[in-house]
Amino acid sequence: MRLEMGTFPVTDITFGRATRYDAGRLTVDCDAVLAAVRQDPRIASAELEIAKPGESVRIWPVRDVIEPRIKVEGPGVCYPGICGREIATVGEGRTHRLAGMGVVEVSSVNWHDAGGDFVETYLDMSGHYGEMYPYQKLLHLCLVVEPDSTLNEEVKNYAVHKAALTVADQLGEAVRALAPPEYQIFELTPVDPKLPKVIYIWCVHSPQAMSGSPSAFCTATYGLTQLTPPWYLHPNEILDGALTGPYRTAFAMSWTVANNPLLLDLYRRHGRDWNFLGVISLRTEWTTQTEKQLMANQTAKLAQQLGADGAVVTWDAGGNEFIEVVRSIQACERLGIKTVFLTSEDDATDGAPTMLEPLPEADAIVSTSFFKNVTLAVPEAPAVARVIGLPTKIVRRGSTIGLHGGVDGAALPTAGPLPPPWRYDDHYGFTSLSCIE
Amino acid sequence: MSGPLRIVHYVNQFFGGIGGEDQAHVGVSVRAGAVGPGRVLEKALGDDARVEATLVCGDNFASENEADAARAIGAELDRLKPDVLVAGPAFGSGRYGLACALACKVAQSRGIPAITAMHPENPGASNARRGIYIVPTGASTTSMQAALDALAPLARRLGRGQTLGPSEAEGYMRRGTRRVHDRGRPGYQRALDMLLDKLHGRPYRSEVPYAPPERVSPAPPIADLARARIAMVTTGGLVRKGNPDRQVSANAVRYHRHTVAELESLSPAEWEAYHAGYFNHIVNSNPNYILPLSFLRDLERQGKVGRVHEHIYALPGVSTPVAVSAGHGRSIAADLKAGGVDGALLVAT
Repeated sequence: MRLEMGTFPVTDITFGRATRYDAGRLTVDCDAVLAAVRQDPRIASAELEIAKPGESVRIWPVRDVIEPRIKVEGPGVCYPGICGREIATVGEGRTHRLAGMGVVEVSSVNWHDAGGDFVETYLDMSGHYGEMYPYQKLLHLCLVVEPDSTLNEEVKNYAVHKAALTVADQLGEAVRALAPPEYQIFELTPVDPKLPKVIYIWCVHSPQAMSGSPSAFCTATYGLTQLTPPWYLHPNEILDGALTGPYRTAFAMSWTVANNPLLLDLYRRHGRDWNFLGVISLRTEWTTQTEKQLMANQTAKLAQQLGADGAVVTWDAGGNEFIEVVRSIQACERLGIKTVFLTSEDDATDGAPTMLEPLPEADAIVSTSFFKNVTLAVPEAPAVARVIGLPTKIVRRGSTIGLHGGVDGAALPTAGPLPPPWRYDDHYGFTSLSCIE
Repeated sequence: MSGPLRIVHYVNQFFGGIGGEDQAHVGVSVRAGAVGPGRVLEKALGDDARVEATLVCGDNFASENEADAARAIGAELDRLKPDVLVAGPAFGSGRYGLACALACKVAQSRGIPAITAMHPENPGASNARRGIYIVPTGASTTSMQAALDALAPLARRLGRGQTLGPSEAEGYMRRGTRRVHDRGRPGYQRALDMLLDKLHGRPYRSEVPYAPPERVSPAPPIADLARARIAMVTTGGLVRKGNPDRQVSANAVRYHRHTVAELESLSPAEWEAYHAGYFNHIVNSNPNYILPLSFLRDLERQGKVGRVHEHIYALPGVSTPVAVSAGHGRSIAADLKAGGVDGALLVAT
């Protein structure tokens, strides 16, 4: 599988008469892009706004950030399978991407109506809170979109996410026929057989157990979000968007998945430090211990069958999902596959272990610091001059205990000082934050 | 440097040469110089260090008369004023481990640096690791030499007033002082470099050292269920309909006690779930799934259980820090005990 990736760095975004890319400047025909979005009768309202690094701007609610990628040659479409897009296997041919920018999906639509699982992420384009994430350095085209309020939650999710992908597609079309300023070939070429074989076990949350629905919107594999046995993916498929966000945390967005630095570095060092075998993607939040152990066993077995000597493991969730993740590490180690676990940590108050189930087999852990903003003692984000999206934000006590008082369920002005969302959680090691004692 | 390093060594009645289990009741006594493992310790410490005195105490005495033991150890330390206290190693011996942790705490409270060694699953390590230096050892005395070789250099540095580096670098167990730390290189790079080191058999250092969870010994089985008072505790996020108590759906800082003395079962018209960790709708159609009152009432009628306790306890078990959870647990358990409850059904989700 050979993928040519053409990169078009975006250095400025403006609205103009036609959607076009010229030497880093992206001009967006707002009316034409919105007309494409509004072709879907389920969309009740849609607006576009631009946010730039350093501006006193807050974007709320942020459901997803998408990097525009478009298939220029080869089968399928980028971000396949999602919201009815075609499911041809991707990863071959040629893809163009708009780097340094994101399409932000801004909508009040919640993931599902089963309670407790709320969209919490907002983004600041300046200040200490915004600096914690890679998005503050990007240019953003924000789609503020609301669906027909009479639709059910699943259809609402489908409609607003499809709208955001439509915007990304419209931007991608602007660079389809252009020669990319940067160009890279991704291919798992044959390497020195003496090099150790390495697999990436990439655990992604499924919303099925929480929502009660196998088709609820969330992190997707070719558009599928339900609990499934582990997938074996070529990294090129992921570069073409076969694995996507979003979910609860700012680090579980589609942009972050497509730009996962761990995946890119595994690729970069293929043939030099190791033989990169590809990705096993394990769905998490299975319900019973038996299911969790079965998934762990099957993940390790698959890694062994592929000949893996080593594995690096990440995950994007919390709570009971830790079990299938850490048991996969245990199962790999028992089969002689050497593993490293990249993870955030839970609250260490009173000397408590920060791993939900500490296992001696997980003896090589790299920490991306505490996952809760409260434990990290992140102060309130200061007031901003402009808000993109909703004028108020409901602050939930579960997210704010310990540091920021306030009433559970209180609606605060989005433009005013706001507590950070309850989770930080750098899933893929973008930053250098860690813990020590 | 001011002369040789002066060490006081704490050991139990067995290692102090008094006797075995039959002598575990003996109180604190002092021997001049090194005794038993203290001689091995002295060798491991090198030339300019010596064990000035050995404190010996029976394991039962230390565990049953903790305050008396602490006072006696404290008095001896005040008199001897050592540069550092070394306790153990206790290996897998539970009471000895707890006593070593106690001796270290007594020393530290007097500004005397202290260090001990034991197996990571020793209750002394899991209950008392907060704030003291513990070097991990094997479970049995066969690892004595290795344990003292690891402990001695740390004891020397502590005795000379030096500050130890982080646990992952120095090899001692976590002390419950975990904090945010910027490692200067992104997590993905550190992870892949660690993988390469592990693949090539080179040394690597986990950033989250293994810390076994605290063990809880289960209560003995209920002898006669037909006479027992049974209570129910749910972490399923059960709330009264409409959540009038304003319970949170995650990260609970309090639990709620409700009276069910008059109820035969939980009605979906009066109860529901508010919990951020599972599909709540099923429970909202039948709250007895997370608090099986109706089923327990059946067993009560059939005489299979004696009595259903009149209070139930509810909170959402989601994302609650372990320390907060432990507090909830202690408080609920104390309330159950005071209410004459013989057994409790803990319903998770």
